[in-house]
Amino acid sequence: MNKPQEALSPSSQGVRTHAIVKAGLARRRSAEIRFRAYGLVCIVLGLAFLLMLFGNIISHAATAFQQTYVALDVTYDESVLDPEGKHDAEALAAADYPALLKRSLQALFPDVAGRQEKRALYGLLSSGAAFEAQKRLQANPGLLGKTERLWLPADDDVDMMVKGQIDRNSDEGDRRLKDYQIAWLDKLKADGRLEKHFNTRFFTSGDSREPELAGIWGALMGSLLTLLVVGALSLPMGIATAVYLEEFAPQNRWTDIIEVNINNLAAVPSIVFGLLGLAVFINFFGLPRSSPLVGGLVLTLMTLPVIIIAGRSALKSVPPSIREAALGVGASQMQTVFHHVLPLAMPGMLTGAIIGMARALGESAPLLMIGMVAFIVDIPGGLSDPASVLPVQIYLWADSSERGFVERTSAAILVLLAFLIVMNGLAVYLRKRYERRW
Amino acid sequence: MRNPEKNPAPASFAQEPNKTVGDIYVANPRIECRGVNVFYGQKHAIMDASLDVGRNEVVALIGPSGCGKSTFLRCLNRMNDTIAGCRVSGEIKLDGQDIYAGGVDVVPLRAQVGMVFQKPNPFPKSIFENVAYGPRIHGLAASKAELEEIVESSLRRAGLWDEVKDYLHHPGTGLSGGQQQRLCIARTIAVSPEVILMDEPCSALDPIATAKIEQLIDDLREHYTIAIVTHSMQQAARVSQRTAYFHLGRVIEVGDTAQIFTNPRHQLTEDYITGRFG
Repeated sequence: MNKPQEALSPSSQGVRTHAIVKAGLARRRSAEIRFRAYGLVCIVLGLAFLLMLFGNIISHAATAFQQTYVALDVTYDESVLDPEGKHDAEALAAADYPALLKRSLQALFPDVAGRQEKRALYGLLSSGAAFEAQKRLQANPGLLGKTERLWLPADDDVDMMVKGQIDRNSDEGDRRLKDYQIAWLDKLKADGRLEKHFNTRFFTSGDSREPELAGIWGALMGSLLTLLVVGALSLPMGIATAVYLEEFAPQNRWTDIIEVNINNLAAVPSIVFGLLGLAVFINFFGLPRSSPLVGGLVLTLMTLPVIIIAGRSALKSVPPSIREAALGVGASQMQTVFHHVLPLAMPGMLTGAIIGMARALGESAPLLMIGMVAFIVDIPGGLSDPASVLPVQIYLWADSSERGFVERTSAAILVLLAFLIVMNGLAVYLRKRYERRW
Repeated sequence: MRNPEKNPAPASFAQEPNKTVGDIYVANPRIECRGVNVFYGQKHAIMDASLDVGRNEVVALIGPSGCGKSTFLRCLNRMNDTIAGCRVSGEIKLDGQDIYAGGVDVVPLRAQVGMVFQKPNPFPKSIFENVAYGPRIHGLAASKAELEEIVESSLRRAGLWDEVKDYLHHPGTGLSGGQQQRLCIARTIAVSPEVILMDEPCSALDPIATAKIEQLIDDLREHYTIAIVTHSMQQAARVSQRTAYFHLGRVIEVGDTAQIFTNPRHQLTEDYITGRFG
């Protein structure tokens, strides 16, 4: 721009500048307001999606926390359970408990005849109901010969009927429950023998083929054990590596290569770690398949780069004046790091570690590769027992065809989300509490 | 101040910067430096510096910004080792022992030659822990009572005891700037050094705190040898017995403080103290 320079006096130049600034002011203000509006819109959209997601999950999961129970008067008839009068615990364990329940049902509906109809009647109860009676007797052997009212879990079809998932007005051929079964249920309800109670089984039992008997405790234990392995291995190794790389390692080509590799590993897709685990831990070392030990090892490999990177950045943030002060008093490099630098960097390191572990908790792809996709009924007791983890359990249930599993999948998702929120909340709390200002 | 009209420069007034003038050497020195060169990578920061620091005296290192005073000071307790790419050559002897010889352990060296930094940097621990840390890691106290005694005497010598004796377990970072710097001095003397290096200790402090610390330096002279880098010529004049003037990485002139400030023997020294640059 070649405007001829006018010889302006300083004050008139100031006035002219002021006029130019004022002219552009409206445009700048409106740009700022627009920018803030965009930001607000983004936040609102994000929150709306989050609410939609949570609302969806919660609305599906709400019914899973209730389970339909049927009240039956069960007589612990000695002639059925212990015909030879042995009073042997082993014999009692092998006795015919379903027979007791069938008798109670027959007492309630004496008109039912014919094999198919009888089978339909007994089918109103869950296949695990007999086991409940057995457990009661084992806990209280004095009940032998007496009668008591037991609340027994109903079959998942009954459960779905009671929760309104099965439309009683639809064509009988399309339904899982026949009309006469529904009539029986109505009678039970009228007698006050059909109720929904809190589904404690969901939190105390392992997986099952039957939705009404299925629980996430097995998967939760598996997740906890796996996380235990991950924590025990990746925390010390990760922190030690970060300290060494940041404080003690010489600055040369090798350490640069190591740094690049660690940064890359943090971005590798998790299923690759699963393949590595399959090839090395299971095939080469022969560790038990589908165990929390192998799962933990695979997830440790995945979490280590994250912890190392977070640890290094926490160490870098400790001001050099602290190090100089310690060195100036005559502390060795080791003493400076462990007495001064590490305690100050620890909150940042722990936050990074917790976030890394929360990520490991939600991983399913690498665990599928090492075999955690099996149907595991028992609660894992140790590191080498076969186990499943929460995300895999959710996947298996989502894949399943029973109607009862739909709500349970959402409930399991809620449990996993609760776990993750707790872990991330812990990380935030730690960070706030131990944040230092030097 | 020398008046150039009444008192013209002597004919021997040095002009060339490559040769240090004045009383570089003293008898029975605590620290001897001969031909010290320091490189930061390619940059030649200190060129052929030679200087003696005598026992129980305060030597001030003065000079314009960037002339290498702090670099030279940090050589004396090998703090430059922590800077990547820094190379030191030449001879620096503490009580006759070369501190850059192979096999010299820097840990006890830094206990013998302590350092106080420009910005007060107490540890984020309690006042007691700040002072006790040094004696503890060097094993100077056999028992808890002895440790407490060392802490108390160090704080007394630093002139801080009366102000903090009831707050020993409060964090050191909660003190004022001047108190923090005195805490750092107490921390340094707690390990019983022979020499205390001070790198512009008062530049971050207000005048009252500065006066207190200057008084403290004078009291400390009784027991310790002190080398102080200072930006303020007035402070150098108040506090030191000998002064060394640095200019662009070289030691230009060394001598008695009174003589340097009234009758400098080098043109560059005169230009600096008269304020022609700086």
